[in-house]
Amino acid sequence: MRQLFIVLGIIAAVLALVLAVTPLSQIAFLPALAALIFGGIALYISKQKQLPKKSVQLIFLMTLISLVLTTYKAVFNSAEMGNTEELELKEEASVEDSKHILEELEIEDMDIEFDESNLDTTTTEELPDLEGLLDK
Amino acid sequence: MLSSAQFAQNTSIGIGEKLVFTASYNMSGLMTDIAQVTMETGQVKTSKATLLHLKCTAATYAKWDNFFKIRDLYESYVSPTSLTPYLYKRDISEGNYYKFMQYTYSHKTNSVKSLMRKKNSKGQTYDKIATVKINGGTKDIVATIYHIRNLDIHKAAQGDTQSFKVIFDNEEMVINVKYVGKETITTALGKKECYKLALSLKNKNVLKGGSNDNLLYLTADANKVPVYAKFKIPVGNGELKIKSATGLKN
Repeated sequence: MRQLFIVLGIIAAVLALVLAVTPLSQIAFLPALAALIFGGIALYISKQKQLPKKSVQLIFLMTLISLVLTTYKAVFNSAEMGNTEELELKEEASVEDSKHILEELEIEDMDIEFDESNLDTTTTEELPDLEGLLDK
Repeated sequence: MLSSAQFAQNTSIGIGEKLVFTASYNMSGLMTDIAQVTMETGQVKTSKATLLHLKCTAATYAKWDNFFKIRDLYESYVSPTSLTPYLYKRDISEGNYYKFMQYTYSHKTNSVKSLMRKKNSKGQTYDKIATVKINGGTKDIVATIYHIRNLDIHKAAQGDTQSFKVIFDNEEMVINVKYVGKETITTALGKKECYKLALSLKNKNVLKGGSNDNLLYLTADANKVPVYAKFKIPVGNGELKIKSATGLKN
C-alpha cells in the first residue's frame, strides 16, 4: 500500500513539475495537490510502520518546487503579446491583394446600393414621403 | 424566429470598430490566457464599389509562442449595407501547420470559387482550386458572426431559433442560434445587460454539447457587442472575454 502511494505521489509530483515549466503552469496546482495527498498518506504509513521516508521527502520536494514556480509565474507573468509584426505585414499584403481580386469581380456581382452616391440620392428622395406619412 | 430579413440594413456594425478579446482555457476553475483575438472593421474602396472589410485575428501570447505559435487571420469583404460577402480569406499558421483558404462568391450562380493553399511535408506550397455550389444566403464564418450581431434580437422571444448556412473548408454547414434570454454580466466594459445566445452545429461533432455549452453574449443595445463567449471542448472549456471596444457605431 505504501509503495502504491509513493509511486502515485512521484507520478503526480513529476507531472506537476513538468506542467509548472510549461505555459499551462496554473494547471500544475491539480497534480501538485494530488502529490501532496499521496505523499501525506505514504508519510503516515511510513511513520506507523517505521519505514524509510526518503522517497516521501522527494515527493514533497518536487511538489514544493512546482508550487513555488507556479505561484511565481501566476503572480509575476502577465499576458503579453508576442511579436505580431509578421501578421501585420500579412494583413497589409492581404488587403492589397484583395483589392485586385475585388476589382476583377464583375460589376453585376456587386449590389448597386453599395455606391455611396446612390445611397445619398435614395435618402433625400424618400424624405418627403416620410414627412407626408407623419402629417397623416 | 429571430428576425433577419434577407435585405436587412446594417444597424450595428460601423467602420473603424475594434474589439479586443482574451481567449482562455479553463479547466476545473483554473484559467490560463492563451491568445488575443481581435475583430476589426474597415473600408475598402475599389473603382466599382465600397466594401466593408471584416477582419479577425488571433495571436498567442508571448509565453505560448515557443510551444505553439498561432497567427491566424480571417477576413471577409462584405456589402456595408446588407453584409453580403464577396470575398473571404483565411490564413492560418498554427505551430508547423499552414493553410490558406480563399472564397470568391458568385451570388448569381450560387457558387464560390475556392482556392486552398497548403504546405506539403517538404515545406513547399501547393494550390487546390475548386468551385463549390452553395445555397442562397450562405456566408463564411466571419460574415456570419457579424450577421448574427445584426439580427433584430430585441424582437425575438425566449427560445426562438434561427439557422444559418455557413461555408467552411469547402463544406456547407448549418449553425443554429437560439435566443436563451437576457442576462446581466460583468465585463471589462462594466456591467452589461446581454442577449444570451446558444450556438450549435447541426450534424457535427464540434460545438455539439448541450444547449448551454456554447454561449455567446451580445450587449443588449444597438451595437450588440460580443462581450463573452463560452465553448465546450473535450477537456475543459474555452472562453473569449472582451478586453476593449472602440469605434462602435452607436
